[in-house]
Amino acid sequence: MVLLVTSDNEQFVVDKEVAERSVLIKNMLEDVGESDQPIPLPNVSSSVLKKVLEYCEHHRGEPLPTADSEQNQDDSRKRTTDINEWDQKFITVDQEMLFEIILAANYLDIKPLLDVGCKTVANMIKGKTPEEIRKLFNIVNDFTPEEEAQIKKENEWAEDR
Amino acid sequence: MDKFAALEPVKLYNAPTPVSSKFPRFSIHHKPPAPFQLVGRLPVDIHILILTYAAIPDIPSLSRISRAYSNLCKDERVWEARWLHLASGNTHLASVLDDLENRTKTQNAVRKSSLPPTLSLDGAADDDFGDFTSVNAPPDEMGDFVGAFSTAVITSPTNTSFTPQSAFRTRYIRAHNLLKTLIPALSSPTYTVLTALFPAPEPSLSHQAHTLRLLSTFLSHKVKPVRAWEKLSAAIRAASDRFDDGLLTAFDTCDSKNDEEGMKQAAQASWDVWDGSSGHWELARAWADKREIFYDQTKWHGLDNFTNNEQLDFDAMDAFMSHVLDALREHGTRAVRVFPPEANVLLSFSDRLANEVVAEYLSPLLDRAREASTELFLKAIAASFKESWRMVDVILEVSKARPEAEVSRTRAEDVIFKMFESNMDEYLDEEVEVLKQAFEVTCRTWEKTLSDRPAIPTSAPDQARFLGSHNPAQVKRTVLASFTDVLLLPVTIVPKTTVAVGKAFGAALTTGGNAAVQGISMLNPQRWGATSATPNDKNGYISSTSGSTLFEIGDDGDDDESPTFEKSHKRLQSSVTSTASISTVATTTQSTSNRSLSVSSASTRATTPVASASASQITFDKFDLLLSLDTALELIHADRESLKRVETFAGYPGHYGHRVRDTIEEIFVLCLQALGERHIKVGFERAIEQMRAYRPADHEETSSVAPLMQFFELVHVGDTMQSMVQVYFDKELSSHIDRTDFLNSVVREKKRFEDTLDDSVAGGLNAGTDALMSQVEHIILKLTKPREYYPADDAAMDLGPSQGCTESIKCLQMHCQLLKGSTSKEVLEVFYQEIGLRLIAILQKHIKRQIISLNGGFQVIADLNAYHAFITSLKIPTIISDFSYLKMLGHVYVVEDAKDLAQIVRDVTRYGGAYRPEDIYEFIQRRSDWKKIEKTVDKAIVVGHKSSAAASIQIELCVPAASSISFSNHHLDTYILADMAPTEFSLRLQHGITGGFAPPTPNAVFTVTGAPSLSFLQVTTSLRPSGTPSLQDALPKEVVVDDNNRKLVDELYNILKSIPTESPPGSEDIYGLDTSIAFGSEDLQWMNGGPSGCGGGTSEVQATDGDKTKFRRAVDIVKELVGHEGDLH
Repeated sequence: MVLLVTSDNEQFVVDKEVAERSVLIKNMLEDVGESDQPIPLPNVSSSVLKKVLEYCEHHRGEPLPTADSEQNQDDSRKRTTDINEWDQKFITVDQEMLFEIILAANYLDIKPLLDVGCKTVANMIKGKTPEEIRKLFNIVNDFTPEEEAQIKKENEWAEDR
Repeated sequence: MDKFAALEPVKLYNAPTPVSSKFPRFSIHHKPPAPFQLVGRLPVDIHILILTYAAIPDIPSLSRISRAYSNLCKDERVWEARWLHLASGNTHLASVLDDLENRTKTQNAVRKSSLPPTLSLDGAADDDFGDFTSVNAPPDEMGDFVGAFSTAVITSPTNTSFTPQSAFRTRYIRAHNLLKTLIPALSSPTYTVLTALFPAPEPSLSHQAHTLRLLSTFLSHKVKPVRAWEKLSAAIRAASDRFDDGLLTAFDTCDSKNDEEGMKQAAQASWDVWDGSSGHWELARAWADKREIFYDQTKWHGLDNFTNNEQLDFDAMDAFMSHVLDALREHGTRAVRVFPPEANVLLSFSDRLANEVVAEYLSPLLDRAREASTELFLKAIAASFKESWRMVDVILEVSKARPEAEVSRTRAEDVIFKMFESNMDEYLDEEVEVLKQAFEVTCRTWEKTLSDRPAIPTSAPDQARFLGSHNPAQVKRTVLASFTDVLLLPVTIVPKTTVAVGKAFGAALTTGGNAAVQGISMLNPQRWGATSATPNDKNGYISSTSGSTLFEIGDDGDDDESPTFEKSHKRLQSSVTSTASISTVATTTQSTSNRSLSVSSASTRATTPVASASASQITFDKFDLLLSLDTALELIHADRESLKRVETFAGYPGHYGHRVRDTIEEIFVLCLQALGERHIKVGFERAIEQMRAYRPADHEETSSVAPLMQFFELVHVGDTMQSMVQVYFDKELSSHIDRTDFLNSVVREKKRFEDTLDDSVAGGLNAGTDALMSQVEHIILKLTKPREYYPADDAAMDLGPSQGCTESIKCLQMHCQLLKGSTSKEVLEVFYQEIGLRLIAILQKHIKRQIISLNGGFQVIADLNAYHAFITSLKIPTIISDFSYLKMLGHVYVVEDAKDLAQIVRDVTRYGGAYRPEDIYEFIQRRSDWKKIEKTVDKAIVVGHKSSAAASIQIELCVPAASSISFSNHHLDTYILADMAPTEFSLRLQHGITGGFAPPTPNAVFTVTGAPSLSFLQVTTSLRPSGTPSLQDALPKEVVVDDNNRKLVDELYNILKSIPTESPPGSEDIYGLDTSIAFGSEDLQWMNGGPSGCGGGTSEVQATDGDKTKFRRAVDIVKELVGHEGDLH
């Protein structure tokens, strides 16, 4: 069992197998060795960690994705849907939570979860105007109108016409 | 707008900031933002990831979010994934794109000439502008310039090796633009898609295939080039299927026309368009489906392989396999020629052939065999495997037709291995089970014959023995040579009949097996005995062998009429020549039989003289052969057959490979266990039992111990068996295991087997020696006349050894001789030594029972001389010297003068330590004149030893343990004056024993050790020179025991006995000399000063002044003993 402590000082006791879905924690445990020391996760809040652990629990025992496995590529090529059903349901959360999950997955180094999050965001972007996306990402437009027009031209090839 | 107009197209690849124009022309490589830098609310890395998953049509919007974000949109990582996805699985990507480009250009040229210029997407890719950029190009054509420009970059020959950093986005954009031109065609109705995609003139089939394939990768979720990619993806799949169907038809047409070129093209195109998603490639499957080999199975029946009498005869399978192989050869060659090598159609075809045709054929065969008997099943499965194996060679042969299609041997073998995998578990289990049973049966049968045998067999010369022959080693060599030959006989795995002979001569497997059994059984010496017992028909002997071995089936009608060896041999020759063309396996069978025949006849020739020699040997009653070479041979043979069968599967890879190898080992281990535990051990145990039960008195005959004879025979047989196992191991097993790996179970088991045999032999020798020696003792007792050594004065002196002596020596000699050559030299030496030692004991006991006169003394010497001569012949140095001392001992009976006698008694060195004075004293009591000389002798001894030295005689009498005679030694008590110190003691003196809390520092340590076997005392002295911290070791020295120091030890012993030690030990130095003495002997353990010196305590016991004086004397004695002069300080 592994003891995890979140940024808001809540403690989670989880199976080692579940916790090790996170490459960060896995490496940490490997470096430190077996100990009862709590692992502090200062970048993750309890509500997000709860969600993340739900994901890890569901996917426990699955092989961890390796950096470059040809096999995986083949598999995903054959799959028609991007995100499997359970993940789809899991990731149906409000925007705030979605970004939190992505950030936590990134920090904890849980590649599959990060992928699911990013795919979801990519789906959300679909068909949105630049302004809508800016709002989504909380980015301020710093283009001059001319520049923006030029960029638009530059990317015309990609437009679906 | 002015700023905009000034832009050169080059800058389009860079960030819209003016600075970026300084970057090299084609480098669109930006200084990447730090990975964790936030853009908006997410770090850069995550944005990149999101962009990778975003659809292409969303990219324009995303680029317009902000400057930073538009840079991210151009990040190579975003495009690398997409490009690699396109490139993977599309080896013809470059050529397809080039083709498309050329086509687009020509089409556009055509269109342009016919149509007024428009701002259509393709317009700008026109040749007129394609490779040139112009600052005043119309703004709305900019996007297309990008595409056109990048095209130029990529196709330019100088740029074949891209700078990968800058290339992915550019390359993707080119592919995107080119492929997009095809997309409208996909929206047309399904049946026109292909025509729309490939308008006349139709490009080549392979081009079409590649294009379709590329389109389907393009329109996937990994790329998402357009919004409607999912719908279009379905359309392209439908189009591909349609295309494939067309190819299938074309292929079939070509197939029926035998147009291999057409087939090849269609196949290649179909292979190219196949995306590997549906699991199998339809075209090859459809082709294979049409091969009739899969449908004409009614012609072949697995059950044909059984003969009427439930035996196996694989001729049917042979023919079947030839048929299969023909088909494989024919279709396989075509498959290799027609289908692309990557498709591995040959292997999948062979696979199918194996599983659907061969396996189908085999399953009823194996089922039937299983029903009939397990053994049959084992044979059938090994045989069918061997038969199926022929496919491997054909596959390899066929695949060579096209160099790039060549199949590796492993993959070809896998076809068969996989097919047989389902049977392997059962087979391997059964193999071991059957073998166990077979061993059990063989052992049981033997035990039964053994117990059925009459308890006291007649003394018929029914057994030829190693012992009976003149040269056991030679016989053994002959047996082993024949055995080796037999081992070389191949075991026939595939039973077949020889068609040429006309009729079957029986299933070859059984025949071959019989041949081997027969051949082997001829090795059994018992059979030779049987032959020589009926020496009248040597011919019959041969004929029975050859008849039963080879031509037992009465098809010729005359082979039971004692055919001569030559005749059968001739027939054999003819059958060999006539069958030479059939198959190699059949030929092997023939040569097998051929060999076995010559082997058996050879063994006959070689052993006949031996056998006849044995017939003339003396016979022994109660002789029971407890081990049977026959049984051993049967065991080994059964084992070997099993082993050979399993060996067929030895090439298996992976899991089953391990199991096969394990089984091979297990088979050998089982054989060793059966032979060792069940046969040899039991046999030896019985022999030992019989030897134990042997009572010499019950037997009339004196010169031989029957059970011992039998045992020696067993040793010979056992030794032969071990050699056979060794040969078997070397020949058959060493290729499978690492012989030097001492952890290997086989090697361990073999060692254990050898140990079992050695133990049995050793145990047997033990019991055998007991039996032999009791026999010898019995002989001596029985044949020694009452007055053998006390002859009447007037009796004629005959200075030869007595009868008892000669007889016992004869008995010993014979048995020692018998063992020669059957066991190792070491065992023999131990045995001889044991005999020698026991003989000495017997003789000493014997002499002490006699009354010996002076004349008789010469008889004693004569006897002892004879024994000595015998022992010398054994060549064991230690017992030879023992016997020479014994010989000298005889002299005490011929010395007349009592004083001389006393001198002899006292002379310790005379017998080299073998006899002590007290021993000699005992022997001289057996003199017939003892009563007369006793006093004189005693007096002489006492004088010789001064007053107290007589004690040396008091030492306990050396009475042989088994002796039943008690000696009276009352007269010795008179000499005891005081307690004598034991001759075995150890003494330690330490000076410097008082210390504070720290352990004391000794100044000097002396030790003295005495032992009865030594004529000297061992003394060590170590002193600490003053001013140094530790003791220096002095070399130990030896002080000869003389009367003086003997006296000193006695005095010391008596002093120590009388004075106290402190209590508790180590509390106080009560003698105040800072000295401790420790004396240890059997009856006195005395020590003062504690084990590690004295502390500052007070002892409950205090020494009187007298005690202190005594102790001081004791210290002086020790100093004198060790030769130390001066005070200790």
